[in-house]
Amino acid sequence: MTTPVLSIRNYTLEYLTGAGPVRVLQDIGFDIAPGEVLGLVGESGSGKSSLAWAIMRHLPKNAREVSGDIRLGDTDLRALPGRELTRVRGRRIGMVFQDPSTSLNPTLPVGRQITETLVTTRGLSPKEAWTEALALLGHVELRNPEALMKRYPHEISGGEKQRILIATAFGCRPELIVFDEPTTALDVITGAKILELFTRLRAETGVAALYISHDLALVSRVADRVAVMKHGKLVEEAPADRIFRAPQHPETQILVDAVPRPERRLVHDQPGERVLLAAQDISVHYARRRLFRPAPPPATQAVGFDVRAGEILGVVGESGSGKSSIARALTGLADFSGNIRFDGRPIAAGRAMDRQYRRAVQIVFQHPDSSLNPRQKVGEILARPLRLFGGNVADVGKLLEQVRLPASFADRWPHQLSGGQKQRVAIARAFAAKPSLVICDEITAPLDVSVQASIIELLLTLRAETGTAYLFITHDLNLIRQIAHRIAVMRGGELVDLLSIDAIDAEHVHPYTRDLIAASPTPVG
Amino acid sequence: MSLSWILRRLLLIVYTVFVVSVLVFGITQVLPADAAVTLLGENATADALAAIRDRLGLGAPIWMQYLRWVGHAVTGDFGLSMRTGQPVGPEMVAALGRSLLLAFAAIALMLVIAVPLGVVAAVRQGKLADTLTSLVSYLGVAFPEFVTATLFAMLLADTLQWLPATGYVSPFEDVWGAVQHLALPVLTASVILVAHVSRMVRSETLDVLHSDYVRAARLKGLPERTVLMRHALRNALLPVVTIVALDVGYLLGGIIVIEEIFAIPGIGRQLMVAITARDLPSIQAGALIMSATYAVANTLADVAYAFLDKRIRYD
Repeated sequence: MTTPVLSIRNYTLEYLTGAGPVRVLQDIGFDIAPGEVLGLVGESGSGKSSLAWAIMRHLPKNAREVSGDIRLGDTDLRALPGRELTRVRGRRIGMVFQDPSTSLNPTLPVGRQITETLVTTRGLSPKEAWTEALALLGHVELRNPEALMKRYPHEISGGEKQRILIATAFGCRPELIVFDEPTTALDVITGAKILELFTRLRAETGVAALYISHDLALVSRVADRVAVMKHGKLVEEAPADRIFRAPQHPETQILVDAVPRPERRLVHDQPGERVLLAAQDISVHYARRRLFRPAPPPATQAVGFDVRAGEILGVVGESGSGKSSIARALTGLADFSGNIRFDGRPIAAGRAMDRQYRRAVQIVFQHPDSSLNPRQKVGEILARPLRLFGGNVADVGKLLEQVRLPASFADRWPHQLSGGQKQRVAIARAFAAKPSLVICDEITAPLDVSVQASIIELLLTLRAETGTAYLFITHDLNLIRQIAHRIAVMRGGELVDLLSIDAIDAEHVHPYTRDLIAASPTPVG
Repeated sequence: MSLSWILRRLLLIVYTVFVVSVLVFGITQVLPADAAVTLLGENATADALAAIRDRLGLGAPIWMQYLRWVGHAVTGDFGLSMRTGQPVGPEMVAALGRSLLLAFAAIALMLVIAVPLGVVAAVRQGKLADTLTSLVSYLGVAFPEFVTATLFAMLLADTLQWLPATGYVSPFEDVWGAVQHLALPVLTASVILVAHVSRMVRSETLDVLHSDYVRAARLKGLPERTVLMRHALRNALLPVVTIVALDVGYLLGGIIVIEEIFAIPGIGRQLMVAITARDLPSIQAGALIMSATYAVANTLADVAYAFLDKRIRYD
């Protein structure tokens, strides 16, 4: 048998905290053979990132390694002193990070950031490194590498940045590359293309990889074997095609069930015929009109649609397609031109929106961290809309129970809650106003797949109880196909398709809609 | 950064100086100082006072007086000092030159001390070097200028007799003498600023060292030295540009005490003398020149910032 590229044995890790040591990894052990891709799946907090940092030898100061071995080939990584570690990083283990936009230095041209790595790790001369970098960029299908090399990170898109980081990692010709959720921060189509790129480069170079993600469907497509992690322990390890078909451990079963599958509908009723909200020719303008200068193009161009009472209307599209601008216009957060009628009544734009409309249309934002005031307790956050819209402040407890949180959470601060719990509070805040339409703007995007599933379940229960309609904005087509009655597809500020869910596979759909469907990862098996 | 942006910044300077000129002129109008009385003394006859008011145009409406003053000021003519009878403009500009020399020397010395201090404190966060630099910089701000000045003067001028205690020598006449005379005031002024900047450099460097791109730079195998010099410092030092511009303002007005202690005829001291003597043309000229200098310094800082940080788009 050949020596594995990476071999971990009995690895246990603790973080020392004020409340004593917290065990984050317990008896971890696995091998990655040369040329093999191991997928590592788990919810956030399961310890998968800690394991990545342990392999990269970049643990926080309060980390304490209790026991175990981490070997890269014949090298004992734990025994390496700092100087030799620098010689291993990049040269023998590369890493690709979750967020490409923060992983590049904002004040250095991207070309420089590639060549400096090639100069250090492969000992090339600056000139050779420049030529090599051009070749690498061309190889990851970036157009016009010459010009790109001279750009700064803020001048290029997220997908391009991730390609550059991947090109750099592969360009150093390491034995192993650690991928830490490399597509999570990207939209579906860009993410799908990055996955394609990963698969191709891997096949060409035969480098071994550890691919970390919370998305079991995605991992099962790229990995040879999948390891499932829960509370710092490996609960199951199996070939990728088997993990979906025959999950052994209950935790794996939960992850498998949580993966949204378009063919499994969660909503079975049909909405009423009554039109709740009718939007016509909505164009959202952000920048102020300036003297001597043409007005900037609107973020959305004359978009029109209606939402029926009790309907779930999905809005999909990649980032920058204008989805969120629609949400901002409908809630009076952005100026727009066009008409909105609500319950047959015309609604004024922007600040002039009346209170009755503002009460009836509520919004839940993507990031509960920034939409909940960190200096207010949950009780105060929920009492505000109750007071504003004539509810009873004593109902805070009931609201919390409505979103399946204990009433005692009213005394907690937002930072004491998990991401899913915070999003439940944000949902409770929206429902405090007894709305007839709730706009959900990518509300599950920052959450794990399993938490996402429970939030969706909550939204559907609330809808059954109150009859609320949803405008559900997302980039996850698989998810929206499970719940929406109709789907609006946006691209570049325009509405390209507005389809009933049954018609989504039909012949006449817009080619872009078909691309979106093709880009959505479906599980293997 | 475009030409039109720079033009608009220049216009902004003009606008700032205009607003200040209105304020300065307005304030000198409401000051309890009558130019005629100041000139002729308390015992002047009513006829003499009326004659001089007529000659100075003090009887004209205020806006006329303002326009006449501004009209002359743009040509560099700020009128004659009521105290010395000499033209105010050249005197104030010369004083400004002395203050700027002091200010820039102090800023240069401060940067040489503060930047390495802040970086070392950040790299050795929580260790002895960090505690020591914090202590030194807090001592710097904690002492008022006159205490620091006195301590330095006692040690370097009195006990060791290395430097002259007071006075000003122009560098155009005697370079070595100028350096010797400037040493004490520059040292005093920079000690106060070191605290500002070194604390700022420390916290900025800490932020940057914890950023994702520094982590990425380390994990792609760059040596720590390169990570620090190329990736961390470049970003950590950007905000220092802004602080330095603000410090120019502080130095121009705030080192009155230092100029007073070391008998340097800078613009702060000249303005002080003018205010005590109710010398209105000198007050007006001094205030206007200082505000213009400040506006220019801030604009230069913005231009420098835009040049260093490509993310900032000026169009």
